[in-house]
Amino acid sequence: MRLALSADNRVGVLKNGGFIDVSEAFSDIRYRGAADRMPRVIGALAKRRERIEESAATGALEHGVALQAPVPRPPKLIAAFGNYFEGVQRDRLAQDMFLESPDSVIGPGGTVVLPRHPATIFHHEAELALVIGARSRDLPADERALESVAGYTCAIDVSGRGIGRMSPSRIGKSFDTFTPLGPAIVTTDGVADPQNLRVTLSVNGDLRQDYSTSDMEYGVIEILAFISGHMTLVPGDVLLCGTNHQGLGPLQDGDNVSMTIEGIGTIEVDVRDDLRRQWSREIDREMGDRVRGTAGR
Amino acid sequence: MRIASYDDGKTGIVASDDTVVDITGILKQYDPLGPEDALPDLITHIDELRDKLDELAATGGSMPLANVRLHSPLARPTKIVCLIGNYREGTDRPMQILDIFFKSPEGVIGDGDTVTLPPHEASIFHHEAELAIVIGTESKDVRDDEAMDAIFGYTIFNDVSARGTGRQGIASFLGKSFDTFAAFGPWIVTPDEVPDPYDLRVTVKVDGELRQDYSTSDMERPIRELISYISSVTTLHPGDVICCGTNHQGLGAMQHGDSVTTAISGIGAFTIHVDDPQRRRWERGVDQEMAQRVRAMAQQPAQDGATR
Repeated sequence: MRLALSADNRVGVLKNGGFIDVSEAFSDIRYRGAADRMPRVIGALAKRRERIEESAATGALEHGVALQAPVPRPPKLIAAFGNYFEGVQRDRLAQDMFLESPDSVIGPGGTVVLPRHPATIFHHEAELALVIGARSRDLPADERALESVAGYTCAIDVSGRGIGRMSPSRIGKSFDTFTPLGPAIVTTDGVADPQNLRVTLSVNGDLRQDYSTSDMEYGVIEILAFISGHMTLVPGDVLLCGTNHQGLGPLQDGDNVSMTIEGIGTIEVDVRDDLRRQWSREIDREMGDRVRGTAGR
Repeated sequence: MRIASYDDGKTGIVASDDTVVDITGILKQYDPLGPEDALPDLITHIDELRDKLDELAATGGSMPLANVRLHSPLARPTKIVCLIGNYREGTDRPMQILDIFFKSPEGVIGDGDTVTLPPHEASIFHHEAELAIVIGTESKDVRDDEAMDAIFGYTIFNDVSARGTGRQGIASFLGKSFDTFAAFGPWIVTPDEVPDPYDLRVTVKVDGELRQDYSTSDMERPIRELISYISSVTTLHPGDVICCGTNHQGLGAMQHGDSVTTAISGIGAFTIHVDDPQRRRWERGVDQEMAQRVRAMAQQPAQDGATR
């Protein structure tokens, strides 16, 4: 099942190339706005599968429905450092993650707005995202950890480099609009093997990133076990599984970005930069080499 | 005005005679979905509530403060934003580049609660006492000269920090986001009661022994700059908490059985307890090595952020 949220705040499923409103299945859930609604909906998902599917079977199929992010404001947005081998033969690096601002999320069709801050470059980082479905902590590092996951979606972790005091810059990933997320949450039963997914990202039709989640250092299960050993996870939390840096490139004014995870979906966003800064419109090979070199040491 | 959360989901004004006036009923008009909405509602609607609440604060109530069980004023802030560094700590270096990290809002505890140290192999667990701001209005790209208007109030934060966990060489901040590691309280004090936020004495006592003891006058960047900068990155919402950073001269270990009292003059004090199922032991007293390391780091020229 592909759970989505329309721009006009209707909960639906994507099916047969369209959108079917299933809001009815969640009509008893009280909320104040889109921000607190979706975590409640996602937390109730597992117990309402039948009702949602009934609703989806009888509902009207709508075409061309504009979507917003399936979790417009996650309770927490947590990202993995690195986490891909990227062709380097080496031991795994120590596992680590960090929190990003949950206010950075935008949805399909949204616009990434580059801030005036003097970044050396703004990169796209296409990532597999996990959406948490159940309150959980200290999850075991085995298949049971997946029971806490509602589903998967696509995320672009837009990254302003050279901003702030820390290296690598983390604040450069928390700007408003810097986390395009969507188009829908594909429930775990719809993804046979999360460690065998092709992730691609194109800018204005030129392929940039193209990698497989089979190259992950710490797989989805280990990410869940690790982070839930630090902090309680709650429904709607979004975990970003890291990116393969071979294929990163600049985002700049006027760019159209399209990211796809095979079997999960495609999200497209535009880029605006009021300062009209320019970078070479190609893969940042130096970045790719540097990550391989640093990781290989 | 001092605003507190207490007992079983109640919200109250702590009057000047140290009695607590229950205002839970007044906040019901905003149709809270749960007790966690009470403070955010109060913050959002403070302009229409202020006269009534001021009156209650002046009159006082019948319940002595000593007879209630206080909780963290906000059960789960929408964001906890922490400044990296931000005190000069006796050095005369140039200003450092501003930077922040986010702390898990799942980690909140309050007065009388217990910090549980996780089994992770940390080199030490430190207390970090900080002045914290609670945001009152949605704020994006606010100018320095408007920034103070975004403040709803002040509170006292202990940014509990595990050192030496996570990936080395990248300044990991995950050791600050364990559950129970975001201690704050005992209440929120509105700005009218804090005439000069740069003339506050911040202290930590562990089992009565003084550890941190510094003045907010040593803050490197003033609060207006912090708010202005953070709002240039991420939209701030009512109830977001900004921790203004700590002075590292005086940090020390938190370990099993400790009672840790964090205080700020003119705001208040709260005490938390430490539970360590592993019963690890560290030397008591101030961590002088940490203090020296931070001073030495501060003497180096600020580095441009690398590009990775």
